[in-house]
Amino acid sequence: MLTRINVGPIHPSTHGVLRLVVTLDGDTIVDVEPHIGFLHRGVEKLAENRMYMQSESYMEKIDYVAPMAYSDLYVAAVEEAMGIHPKERAKYVRLILLEFQRIASHLLWLGAFCNDLGQIFTMFMWTMKDRDLILNLLQDVTGSRMFYVNMRLGGVSIDLPPNFEEHANKLLDYLEKRFKDYETFLEKNPVFIERTKDVGILKREDAIALGVTGPVLRASGVNFDVRRDYAYYVYEKLHFIPQVQTKGDSFARYKVRMREMKESIKLIRDALKLMPEGDALGMPIKLISPPVKESEVIVRRELPRGEGMIFMVTDKQRPYRLAIRAPSFINLSALRYIAKGARYADLFSILGSLDLVMADVDR
Amino acid sequence: MNDERFENAKREMEQLVVDSLKNYKAPVGAFFTNLKEATRAIASGTIRWSRKNSLWPMQFGLACCAMELLDFGSSRIDAERKGYLLFRGTPRQCDVMIVAGWVTKAVAPEVKRLYEQMAKPRYVIAYGECAVSGGPWWESYNIIKGIDQIIPVDVYVVGCPPKPENLFEALMKLQEKVGGKVED
Amino acid sequence: MKIKKEELIERLRELSRSGYNYLVKITAVDYIDHLEVIYFIRNMQNKKEENVRLDLKNGESLPTVIEIYKSADYYERELSEMFGIAIEGRDVKRLLIEKWDGLEAPLRKNFQWGSEYKSG
Repeated sequence: MLTRINVGPIHPSTHGVLRLVVTLDGDTIVDVEPHIGFLHRGVEKLAENRMYMQSESYMEKIDYVAPMAYSDLYVAAVEEAMGIHPKERAKYVRLILLEFQRIASHLLWLGAFCNDLGQIFTMFMWTMKDRDLILNLLQDVTGSRMFYVNMRLGGVSIDLPPNFEEHANKLLDYLEKRFKDYETFLEKNPVFIERTKDVGILKREDAIALGVTGPVLRASGVNFDVRRDYAYYVYEKLHFIPQVQTKGDSFARYKVRMREMKESIKLIRDALKLMPEGDALGMPIKLISPPVKESEVIVRRELPRGEGMIFMVTDKQRPYRLAIRAPSFINLSALRYIAKGARYADLFSILGSLDLVMADVDR
Repeated sequence: MNDERFENAKREMEQLVVDSLKNYKAPVGAFFTNLKEATRAIASGTIRWSRKNSLWPMQFGLACCAMELLDFGSSRIDAERKGYLLFRGTPRQCDVMIVAGWVTKAVAPEVKRLYEQMAKPRYVIAYGECAVSGGPWWESYNIIKGIDQIIPVDVYVVGCPPKPENLFEALMKLQEKVGGKVED
Repeated sequence: MKIKKEELIERLRELSRSGYNYLVKITAVDYIDHLEVIYFIRNMQNKKEENVRLDLKNGESLPTVIEIYKSADYYERELSEMFGIAIEGRDVKRLLIEKWDGLEAPLRKNFQWGSEYKSG
């Protein structure tokens, strides 16, 4: 006898608005069907009516947990269309701010994941406090807590303040201590281990066939990362190593993200030592922008949730077609295959470990 | 305007005070008129004080403004110290609905149904530009331009996103509307 | 590489057997008298990318590639909804704008702003 359950649009957690229709046979899941589109507002159509630099603030609101990453992706696409290269010091500044953004995004994921598993609000309060400290540091640099809009053509809008290096090093020492605390809290906890080990296994061939990206792909044994394979800014000089696990269950996805946070700390420390002096300011925003040289542009970046890509067909003053590849869209479509045969209580452990943001799915 | 909803409670509280003073011998006329007005003042004041100091919000974070709602409830800006505790998921136990994020045509029936499921008296706060007037998505084909086209709104908070301290001030203004002046 | 619509399935099958086994995105561009559909595919061994393009006239339908790449499901559903392309070979349901009957394709250039007030 098959029963159908509706996991309705309003969740008591931070994933957003998602509706799942689950077909059960006793306690085993037979089929999961996601209904999406509750947050669709047509960003790709809106960007066709705006000049180039007017739609930077639209791009930030696509993924609201790590906004600077999308804004960097879009500005890099426009720079490549106009033939402008970022300045040398600006590459280091952008890398440092992006890696801080990656740590903040993974901290929010960790808090929400533990919320779903039943530890109501303990880990959430700890990780939100650490994320607040990072957002305060970014507020000192750019002036705003959440939507920065600080990427310009050729650089950034404001350079780093003079005492940034010692503040950043103090914060990184504090974060390293806290990560050790999180590991001892979670990895020897029998409830956490029982709910995440051997739950939602995704094998290597299935991961490539289903098209998943990001930490979900790397936790299944595929060694692919945009920061090493299509390297941008100065990742080659800093000897970046992608983190890979082979098992493919929820515990492996958690482990990949914890190790990525520690790798980001190492990258920021090295970048602060190697940064040259000079000028990092880009062009101010003007409505009439420099002339466009290319007619089609493809740019890839490694967002905290996976690999993002922009394909743009350009016109004189505004884009003719802007196509965005969002990582959460294709990660959600893999839920159906991963959750077949699992128990109903494991559905939220799998859904939490995929790290979805619903505004990214619907665009 | 609020008085006719609480006739029963007022009558019972008046009866309580009158019963407890039954054994007391006092002059009849002047004392009883003062007592009636005194009990009416005490009853309505108590009810208003207790309703305004424990407003329980229902979280309705749809989009980016929900990130600031999370910050509002966590340990830096503590929402529990002023009485706005227990962000519940169910509308039957809440007084205030804080709508944060843009509302599309697919979610709009859910918003209306949740508003009608809250028990009276109920209040609504529109948090963020998208809930006030449609926000930056004003030209889109799938967006409702402001939630006051569906449900009645009491307080509007402006910003994109507004800082969590602004939500504090909005809730204190709502307290003034519910029950009188806010004590410090 | 630019191919015709009839050789689409054989070409993709040949590419996927020679190592290009990861589908990145399927998208389309609207030049007003015809559409151009683009498939981005990638080789996971030597990290090379290839894009396969074809031209569709207005009103033509597109064959489905779901037997070759399993991840084409969501991309084809979004394409058929946003551009009004019919997909032959399987039954596609709407993905992003579900309860809106009578909506014309939003991402085409002749979408009338204001047509959303007539339906739904």
